[in-house]
Amino acid sequence: MDWTDLIAQCLVTGVANGLIIALIALGYTMVYGIVELINFAHGDVLMLGGFLVLTLISACGGEQASPWVVLPIALVAVPAFCAGLNWSIDRLAYRPLRHAPKLTALVSAIGVSFILLNLGLFWGGLDLAVFDDGRSASAKKSVPDLLPFSNLLGDDASVLITLKDVLVAAVTLPMLAALTWLVQRTSLGRAMRAVAQDPVAARLMGIDTDAVIGRTFLIGGALAGVASVVYALYNGAIDFQLGYRAGMDAFTAAVLGGIGSLPGAVVGGLLIGLVRAAMETLVPNGSQWSGTVVFAVLIVVLVFRPTGLLGSPLREKV
Amino acid sequence: MRHALTLAACLALAAVLPAAETVKIVSSLPLTGSANTQCTSMVNGIRMAIEEAGGQVTIAGIPYTLAYESWDDATAQAGKWDAQAEAANARKAIADPEVLVYIGTYNSGAAKVSMPTLNAAGLAMISPANTWPGLTKPGIGEANEPAVYRPSGKVSYFRVVPADDLQGAVGAAWAKELGAQRVFILHDRELYGQGIAKMFKLNAEKLGLTVVGGMEGIDGKASNYKSLVTKIRAAQVDLVYFGGTTETGAGQLAKDLAGGGVRAKLMGPDAFFNSALMSAAGDAALEDRVLVTFGGVPPEQQTGKGKTFVDAYQAKYGQMPEGYSIYAYECAKVAIDAMTRATAKDRAAVVEAIAATKDYDGALGKWSFDANGDTTMTVMSGNTVRGGQFQFVKLLGQ
Amino acid sequence: MTRPSRAQVAWGVALAVVVALPLLDQALPARAALTERVAPILLFAILGLGLTVVSGFTGLLNLGAAAFMALGAYAFSILTCPIYPFQVGFWPGLVAATVVGAGAGALVGLPAMRLRGDYLAIVTLGLGEIVQDVLKNLDVITKGTQGINPVAAPSFGPLILPAAGRHYLLLALVLAAVWVCVALRRSRIGRAWEAVREDELAARCMGVATARAKLGAFALGAALCGLGGGLYASLSNSSLDPGTYDFGRSVIILSIVIVGGLGSIGGALLGAVIMVGFDTILIDELAKATSGETGSERVWAQPGNWKFLVYGLALVLMMRFRPDGLLPAHAPGAAR
Repeated sequence: MDWTDLIAQCLVTGVANGLIIALIALGYTMVYGIVELINFAHGDVLMLGGFLVLTLISACGGEQASPWVVLPIALVAVPAFCAGLNWSIDRLAYRPLRHAPKLTALVSAIGVSFILLNLGLFWGGLDLAVFDDGRSASAKKSVPDLLPFSNLLGDDASVLITLKDVLVAAVTLPMLAALTWLVQRTSLGRAMRAVAQDPVAARLMGIDTDAVIGRTFLIGGALAGVASVVYALYNGAIDFQLGYRAGMDAFTAAVLGGIGSLPGAVVGGLLIGLVRAAMETLVPNGSQWSGTVVFAVLIVVLVFRPTGLLGSPLREKV
Repeated sequence: MRHALTLAACLALAAVLPAAETVKIVSSLPLTGSANTQCTSMVNGIRMAIEEAGGQVTIAGIPYTLAYESWDDATAQAGKWDAQAEAANARKAIADPEVLVYIGTYNSGAAKVSMPTLNAAGLAMISPANTWPGLTKPGIGEANEPAVYRPSGKVSYFRVVPADDLQGAVGAAWAKELGAQRVFILHDRELYGQGIAKMFKLNAEKLGLTVVGGMEGIDGKASNYKSLVTKIRAAQVDLVYFGGTTETGAGQLAKDLAGGGVRAKLMGPDAFFNSALMSAAGDAALEDRVLVTFGGVPPEQQTGKGKTFVDAYQAKYGQMPEGYSIYAYECAKVAIDAMTRATAKDRAAVVEAIAATKDYDGALGKWSFDANGDTTMTVMSGNTVRGGQFQFVKLLGQ
Repeated sequence: MTRPSRAQVAWGVALAVVVALPLLDQALPARAALTERVAPILLFAILGLGLTVVSGFTGLLNLGAAAFMALGAYAFSILTCPIYPFQVGFWPGLVAATVVGAGAGALVGLPAMRLRGDYLAIVTLGLGEIVQDVLKNLDVITKGTQGINPVAAPSFGPLILPAAGRHYLLLALVLAAVWVCVALRRSRIGRAWEAVREDELAARCMGVATARAKLGAFALGAALCGLGGGLYASLSNSSLDPGTYDFGRSVIILSIVIVGGLGSIGGALLGAVIMVGFDTILIDELAKATSGETGSERVWAQPGNWKFLVYGLALVLMMRFRPDGLLPAHAPGAAR
């Protein structure tokens, strides 16, 4: 493998990983944009979505399941589940705190995160073959490889692109397009932007802010659901503690791109994915430092653009 | 009249004779978090040992009730072992006069926290899982190890598992035997994983293998290692060694290596040896692609007392014991055995009795504790994975 | 002399109990080990006070308090461990830990001046990760994941303190930290902090040196966290591995401050009692009371596996019913 091959492979892996982070970051940034809450539980909603994916695969035949059956079902059922879950969490834990200090909601989100974590642990203890008959509930669970590993470029090619990489792009890019359409072209999108800009004015204009916020959580949850399907099938494994890392990555991406900015979340996610891929593939001992480099990049960007790469500059009113 | 006097005398005697007192064994393991499955199995192993002893033990001729308490050195907030929790467990054990033996810990890092305290108080500590060599052997870890863990100057810490200096040597030798010439070494940036990777590297270089690059530390919680696998594929090595555990990425790494077109096999230390590896990687990724070194003989290969333990465990709990379960069982058994040999019911006598364990015929074979508190058992096994199960390949280190 | 208020009486009683703790300990059976159990509470109270200065008084959200704790712990360990040539002793080591913390806080504060709200939060979070990574990777100096041990135990000159002595030392340091916070809050700089928190732009317009105030808050908060870290290392007799000072640790410290009441000194103390006490004492006793074999091997059948859920539920409920914290700085609902 020569340099061009390595860089090409970097791009493939970096973009795929980056798009998954971007998808999770979108859910994060949408919720943040509208209620200014760092939703720590978002990653754990993703985790539970992943467990649902695995359960669905089990119901459809486990190792022998056909991707043509599982994917459509999963891409409908899992986002629906995650959307409902996210909405319920908002209704029960965050809505009563709408007028409380921001940090109160933050700690509440941390609490919800722990609750979901425990639910994930129990879910993994169910007596199903994909969960190893529930004997090692705390262990990572492998997701059956519904899509083959084979290299689309041929078995001897230096660069490896599989159906999994294609799946990530095939699911994420339409989702991004749909989301952009939703936010820019529909009345709900307009209402969301209005509430994000100025909740009081929005209410004065007759927008039911609570309903709009609820719907934002629904959409954010749905995004997490789609992300979980892609995550489970691309990475091939889930565990009850994955929410923490996934949430951290997504949060970093969202901030890097500018919190509240949807294209920013995508740019941030891709940037993180590519930086990591470059560090781990090209730099000796890079894996040890990739975390540091990602955050160093973040800090440098924020020093020069304090509201993120694509964030709108904050206009402070006196 | 005579009968009444005798009866009264008997009653008086019974009143002054003490009722059977209790002695305790306690264990301190990380039950909360990802090591939960492994440690629950270990706790079960200890329970079995206590039951086999009938819940009682005779020390210096007097029978005592034998109790067991399982303590957690992990907290919900941390999600893994916590220094304060371990320190608190150690102090709790010292403060309770009924505790004679402390079985722990699982993580070498946790042992470092409680060993000095327990040693200063003279409470015996037996570990079923610590493998950091510096805990008992001079000259391998820091300059002040292991003296720093023995403030009282006496050895009161023992372990029934062979330390990593042995496992690293044995692993490197096996790698060379299998024909590997170029190896890529990874570790999980934890004490155990980095330690064993270092041991493997030292021995591999001594045996003339080429170690490509340095030891690379990976992020144990990463969602996938595809980029890293690209680097490994480009390096064209014969073997990948990962010093780490199933909780810090072993399964995911195996999966990504298999899916990334790397032909080299993956070798790992004894922390690979549990069902979580199969669970995390899936059978396809592991089929004939993973090599695991393990202290002693694996459960399926156990003969004699080891096999009895495995069968009894399976009968009682309905599943195979995890890799370390038999070590925990052996810890408890040797603790009980030492208590029966102790000259008095006090902690110093128990420590002496444990240290004097010689040619103990247990589930792990016949072994003794040496002057450092290490086991003299040097038998290790090389295993691979076939059909979703660990399969014994050969004995190593003989 | 005016009659002491109810709150003052309550604090007085609490202080008396804590002071009398080692004596109580003598009376109770050895298993209670009250002094040992209270030590982490006192330690985290210091950490909580550090975060209160930054996030409570000045309103800067800091998600990386554990990073300053780690730097303090490692500074202390490197300077007092016999492996290295320094070996300065307990008190100089502690001072060094505090100074290192302050320095790090100032360093972080400088670029962070331009950032607002949650952007600052993510930078501090990133800092936490970076410090952890650096400590792990630079193992020539820090011994990486091995941790540095042994380190100086709490002592006065050659006299190493027993458990009761350590308890009083911690208590003295907590009281000193409280005194510093109270004094500064009433001073000019404290008012500057409050002005920055309430409306930074207005404060700047009024001539308040906001940049200096923020820097000072960061430095002081980090200094207290560094002190806490040094103490933590001393009490654990080791710097412990860098993974101990992860984001989860920062979250615990943040929760202490918010559950107790953001901006309130008493709140930080109460928060420490609740958060640390909850995890170490309550859940422990619960697990012991319900331990023993259950028939089923299912993961939910073991009470210990419900820890996360109980903890999370407690946080959610506490925030639901006491959104301003248990001892809010302002009376709940009062005009700010």
